[in-house]
Amino acid sequence: MMANSMNTRWLVKVATAAALLAGTQAHAQQPPPGAGIQREKTVPAIESGKWTGKRLADGQPDVQGHWSNTIANHNNWTDPQGGVPGDPGRNGPPKTPRSERAPSRVSDPADGEVPFQPWARAVQQEFLQFFHNPIKEQYVEPLARCAPAGVPKSFTWHGYEIRQFPGYVLFLFNSGTRVIHLDGKPHLPENIKLWNADSRGRWEGNTLIVDVTNNNAKARLARTGEFFSDNVHIEERYIFNAEGTRYNYVATITDATVFTRPWTTTIPARRFTLEDEPDGWHYEVAYANQPPGKPPLVERYERICVENNGPFGNVAVLGAR
Amino acid sequence: MPAEMKGRIAALLVGTLLATSVATAAPKIPRLKSGKPDFSGIWETTSAAEYDLEPHSGRADAPPSAGVIDGKYIPYLPAALEQKKKNFAARATEDPRLKCWTLGTPRGIYYREPFQIFQRDRDLTLLFQFGHSVRTIHTNGTLHPEVTDNEFYLGDSRGHWEGDTLVVDVTDFNTETWLDRAGNFHSPKLHVVERWRFLDENTIEYRATLEDPEVFSRPWTLSVQLHRHREKDFQLIENYCFTLGYDEFYPVPQQGTTE
Repeated sequence: MMANSMNTRWLVKVATAAALLAGTQAHAQQPPPGAGIQREKTVPAIESGKWTGKRLADGQPDVQGHWSNTIANHNNWTDPQGGVPGDPGRNGPPKTPRSERAPSRVSDPADGEVPFQPWARAVQQEFLQFFHNPIKEQYVEPLARCAPAGVPKSFTWHGYEIRQFPGYVLFLFNSGTRVIHLDGKPHLPENIKLWNADSRGRWEGNTLIVDVTNNNAKARLARTGEFFSDNVHIEERYIFNAEGTRYNYVATITDATVFTRPWTTTIPARRFTLEDEPDGWHYEVAYANQPPGKPPLVERYERICVENNGPFGNVAVLGAR
Repeated sequence: MPAEMKGRIAALLVGTLLATSVATAAPKIPRLKSGKPDFSGIWETTSAAEYDLEPHSGRADAPPSAGVIDGKYIPYLPAALEQKKKNFAARATEDPRLKCWTLGTPRGIYYREPFQIFQRDRDLTLLFQFGHSVRTIHTNGTLHPEVTDNEFYLGDSRGHWEGDTLVVDVTDFNTETWLDRAGNFHSPKLHVVERWRFLDENTIEYRATLEDPEVFSRPWTLSVQLHRHREKDFQLIENYCFTLGYDEFYPVPQQGTTE
């Protein structure tokens, strides 16, 4: 039994209540799995600069709340709306020309490809080849077993909440929790490797800059199998727009053992608010049970996944049927 | 010195004097701007509660302890006591901790790994090193969800302040958790009322009253102290130990290891 399934059941109920609250159609229901994922075709430019918006008492720009990416889930890293190549199901090859789909999450190099060394490209292709038919345990994506999605995949996997505290920024993801230290403490010793890595950040104007090390490199970046090694060093820039409604995640990924050069990924995200309806994917919240007369308020609910052994194909763990 | 600054310093001095006189009556504790106690920090008990809440002699898998329960023993209903005995006999294989599942409330609080509290006016965020799961204690006047069949590992937590004590009402549990390594357990009807208060700035007294009409004959209370981690550069290190069972399948790819 998976805790998330129970949460989902709850969500359906509260989403219906939410629809009533919001005055929308009473037939509004949770979309079927996979539906309702944002499909913006472009990535807006957001420049680093001054922060003119609200600040918290400790001086941090106030970016607390619920966020999610705007183009696609983690099916495909370089063709985010192109599905998983080789998908035998209803999501076969894309029917639109590449130019009509969102750009690659690789923003540098300009060709949108991850600059793999040849051996590493072969490893990525091997994972992709067996993704839909995982004849060995290693072809089952760790996320499918409830492992944390890690850095940077978490930014393409469901919506998430940002909470801020003096000295910290917390990311509460659908799968995993990440603590960004703003407290000036040094990185952990280099032999400690973590799913969510070790993050040391600082604010410069509208931009949160985070130095990320100690990555255990076990999470694939996408179902297409992109990866790096545990030597990886990631420099993240979270660049928020003046209105505080969007940000771009811009990260430079350096790993001389896997890539021919450092490369940069860009993942656009937007804020979800009371204007939005909980959708069970980008906006996984419930309406708080408020005493009479209080305005609506959303809250995150427990999200714990510890035993989901249901990978694609259900072969490696459950045995061939 | 500008007059305004003089005024500020004077105000500061008066404030300090006032604070000092108050401090003689009550321990000086960290507070939020709102004046509420600020439990932010990294905490861990030194008690043996998590091995066995009840008094017990030392045994191979537990150090001895006089227990942490008011009245020493858990008031089980007869059938539940039989189940507890079965759990105890099978504890080496049946304890959910062994699967690294989230330990629940209150067990996560007195488990011997640190957890961190992050606090805002509207809530407290508890991040447990073990399993890296998150519990939110809402302190913004919201109520338990109207839906009554939620089943959470950590329960649904709604807190309020009684003076400097944080009182938290926790409901909506699943049955995937035990209360300790000795097989003490609960049903989904478990209802926990926690009381958190500072004994001094680095020590919290944590009390939890457990009520469960299917398992206990009456409510009972446990109590442990939580100590602040003050070591230099101390931090939580995520412990997703439930991933260790499949860790071997995911070696970091190296050049030359492609099949």
